[in-house]
Amino acid sequence: MEKMILMMLISLSALAVKAQDTENKLNGTLKIEIDGLSCPFCAYGLEKNLSKVEGVQTIKIDVENAFVLLTIFEGMGVNEATIRKNIKDAGFTPRSITKENDG
Amino acid sequence: MILKKKKAHILLAFIILIISVKGKAQGPPIFTDTPIMLGLEGRGIRTFGNIISKENANAYVQPVVFPFNISTKWQVGAMAPFISISPDGFDSRSGIGDVRVFTKYQIYKKDGKAKTLRGLIKLTETFPTGNSTTNPGLGTGAYQTTLSLVNGYVTTKYGIYGEFGYNVAGNGLPDNFVYNIAVGYPLLPQKYPPNQLNLFLELNGSYVFDQVGNNLFLSPGIQYIVGRKLLFESGIQIPLDDSAPIDQQVNYILRIGTRILIF
Repeated sequence: MEKMILMMLISLSALAVKAQDTENKLNGTLKIEIDGLSCPFCAYGLEKNLSKVEGVQTIKIDVENAFVLLTIFEGMGVNEATIRKNIKDAGFTPRSITKENDG
Repeated sequence: MILKKKKAHILLAFIILIISVKGKAQGPPIFTDTPIMLGLEGRGIRTFGNIISKENANAYVQPVVFPFNISTKWQVGAMAPFISISPDGFDSRSGIGDVRVFTKYQIYKKDGKAKTLRGLIKLTETFPTGNSTTNPGLGTGAYQTTLSLVNGYVTTKYGIYGEFGYNVAGNGLPDNFVYNIAVGYPLLPQKYPPNQLNLFLELNGSYVFDQVGNNLFLSPGIQYIVGRKLLFESGIQIPLDDSAPIDQQVNYILRIGTRILIF
């Protein structure tokens, strides 16, 4: 009996961790403000690095207004830290990441 | 006098063009180095043809440059030039000139919304691979080391670039101080993938020590960036100051080039 309760507790905690992980992941359409984005010709690396993030469906770079719109595949989520790291690796400085209204 | 008037007209036409056209963003300068080691300036091939007209010779120089980014802050690269010289009164010669290897390291970066301020140090080593025993020579016959500081403030509306370096030459050749300044201005609205038409006005100078003198060029240029991976550019260097003897002075240097991103 004790073993069964222990097994149930372990299963429940594993589910809770998984749920929390899903909550931490970003989905839908994301607007990422990026500093240092001053020339279209140097944005290629940014597009290339963001396309490596698993779950990213489309990337739209707006140089004039200094932001990127990322669309995430339905049912998938992306990690904010991963997005920030890939932007830094492309030579730019990530600022705010907000969820756009998909409607 | 006529030459000075021509230079003034070119400068005036360029300034009028910049003032009269509303633009948004621009690319790397044509004759001056850039501190931005991204996109076409990162992992690609750059090549251009320099048509050099001198009082006593005509020459064609076609360097091929291979920059490679180890990281976004650190780049290494190599440059190999093909040279063809046709001097008055001598046989023409052609072949590979002095090969250069270089490394660049970003020392500061301050990013803002639609703008960036960046600087890097650049170390270039020139090897005397070009044949210097013939007349005319295809190389200098000397090892040379250049340490430069490359700066740039680039916004979506304009770009200002500066490159300052000291070149130490061996084999009895005098050292020189290299100074390049560039201003870039875009003519088309910015968008990604790029479709850009940019104007540049540059001053490219070299002060040669040991009482040789100063060499300074005024260099207007135009650049077209088509899509993510391809750039075409052209510029002309007009001498404002030439330390060479009158019968060896440069009339002009015309550059036509391309940059292709391959990685």
